[in-house]
Amino acid sequence: MAVQLGYTKIYRDPLGYPAWEQAGLPGARTPYGLCNDTPGGPPSCLPSGWALLGTFLGIFAGGLALNLTPCVYPLIPITVSYFGGHSGESRGRLAGHGLCYLTGLAVTNSALGVAAALTGGLLGGLLQNPWVLLAVALVLVLFAASLWGMWELRLPGGLTRMAVKSYAGYFGSLFMGLTLGVVAAPCIGPFILGLLTWVASQGSAWLGFFTFFTLSLGLGLPLFVLAIFSGSLDKLPRSGEWLLWVRKLMGWVLMGMAAYFLRPLLPEAGWVALMAGGALAAGIHLALWGRTPATFRPFGWLKGFTWLGALTAAFLVVGFFALRGPGVAWQPYSEALVAQARESRKPVIIDFYATWCTPCRELEDITFHHPQVVKQAAQDFITIKIDLTRKGDAQAETLLQKYQVKGVPTIVFLDREGKELKDLRLVDYLPPDQFLGRLAAVTKSP
Amino acid sequence: MGIKKAILLSLVSVVLAGGMLWYHHRPLAPPAQATWEDVTGEAQRGGYRLITTEELGRLYQKDPQGLLLVDTRQEWEYRSGHIKDAVNFPLEPGWWGRRRAKSPLAKLLGPDKDRLAVFY
Repeated sequence: MAVQLGYTKIYRDPLGYPAWEQAGLPGARTPYGLCNDTPGGPPSCLPSGWALLGTFLGIFAGGLALNLTPCVYPLIPITVSYFGGHSGESRGRLAGHGLCYLTGLAVTNSALGVAAALTGGLLGGLLQNPWVLLAVALVLVLFAASLWGMWELRLPGGLTRMAVKSYAGYFGSLFMGLTLGVVAAPCIGPFILGLLTWVASQGSAWLGFFTFFTLSLGLGLPLFVLAIFSGSLDKLPRSGEWLLWVRKLMGWVLMGMAAYFLRPLLPEAGWVALMAGGALAAGIHLALWGRTPATFRPFGWLKGFTWLGALTAAFLVVGFFALRGPGVAWQPYSEALVAQARESRKPVIIDFYATWCTPCRELEDITFHHPQVVKQAAQDFITIKIDLTRKGDAQAETLLQKYQVKGVPTIVFLDREGKELKDLRLVDYLPPDQFLGRLAAVTKSP
Repeated sequence: MGIKKAILLSLVSVVLAGGMLWYHHRPLAPPAQATWEDVTGEAQRGGYRLITTEELGRLYQKDPQGLLLVDTRQEWEYRSGHIKDAVNFPLEPGWWGRRRAKSPLAKLLGPDKDRLAVFY
């Protein structure tokens, strides 16, 4: 490729670093946490200048993408019903209100970023706390029920009146935004765990604030547009079989997300039963329920596809669960085990996990059940798992200190001498093929 | 939706799910090791030359300043060990990765078109 750019003296060393290292030629390594300013250097170092602007544009785009998650569904009817009350006002004033609303939303979410930066990774744990998960799932189910027409969602009259009357004008909109941020923040939490960890690792409160402010601006932009046009939206017809069906579908998407939040709380088999049953119920509700004949042809097709998709999903969930082979055989931690590993010169994998942590579950379910990973781990490694679900275990606390573990998941690799390979440490989900690459790197180390 | 259509679609979904499960659980072939012929062929098509470890080692020890070493592996591979003074420039496989890497690469290599650069 460099040749296409017009360079003449381009070589390739096909044997690469392994052969170089074997020949005893000089090498270097860069453990995590160290910065070097070579071009294309490690991205964990704080970017500056244009790169910083690029990062923030990326975060903004990420915020926009968060609109694809159902977290915003609850915010849509509230926004419409709140701004519907302002419909008599001019477009310009409405834009002002929308802006205040957006800012309020962003400020609440930014508190999340500041908290992440100051507490250093602990917030991720808080957002994954069983009670928070349960509450978020409950709210999602309630909103699904509302979409299915079981109850009508209306802002409590008191809240609307207070916002409109006593804090008249723009401040009222700001206040609404501030309040609603509380609804959105825990919901988007799991989708942005990576970002939270990044902010926590940088440890700067300002960076945390601006990161999440930008993210929420992206998240709120469609709501802002909705706010300006909510007056005209009210005049649109709201009935019709087709629209009712779309509402049903959105309700099921919310239910699916509630199940996603409940996952860490349920045993594997229970979750599989819930998912399969849910997919089946969704299929029946969306495709078979209601005897009214399809009014137009594509609608019949859509129902057919929904039935096909729901049923296939149910079969797949059950099938994958039934066919899953054994996982990595983990052992509880003990000093004797580590000493024994050192004596037999075997590298060690230590997995710090907690049942409420989603990436830990992904690691366990996908990576640590992949046949090749299981085989490799059994053959060459001592595998140790440390459960951090409950705080206060003395042994776990000392290990957290010893290995400087900041959150879960953390996977520590010890070489044959029992020393940690810091540059290989893992703090997020990694798919099986890449994990195998790390295992190979560990076995190759002397 | 009629009963007949529903049953037909249910059967289709069984086949679909079965196929996907089989595909996921099919035995994987071990990754193919690139032969020397593949590598030389690639070099010819790409218009660059190959260098052996010994040659590179000699070049490196003679004049480390006049030589730009570019490590195209992933960042974590670079971190866990690389040739001293090499820069990391992670290249994603595929035409999209190559296309995206073009202008940063030109910046990395600099204006001197006759500069000696070794990729690995």
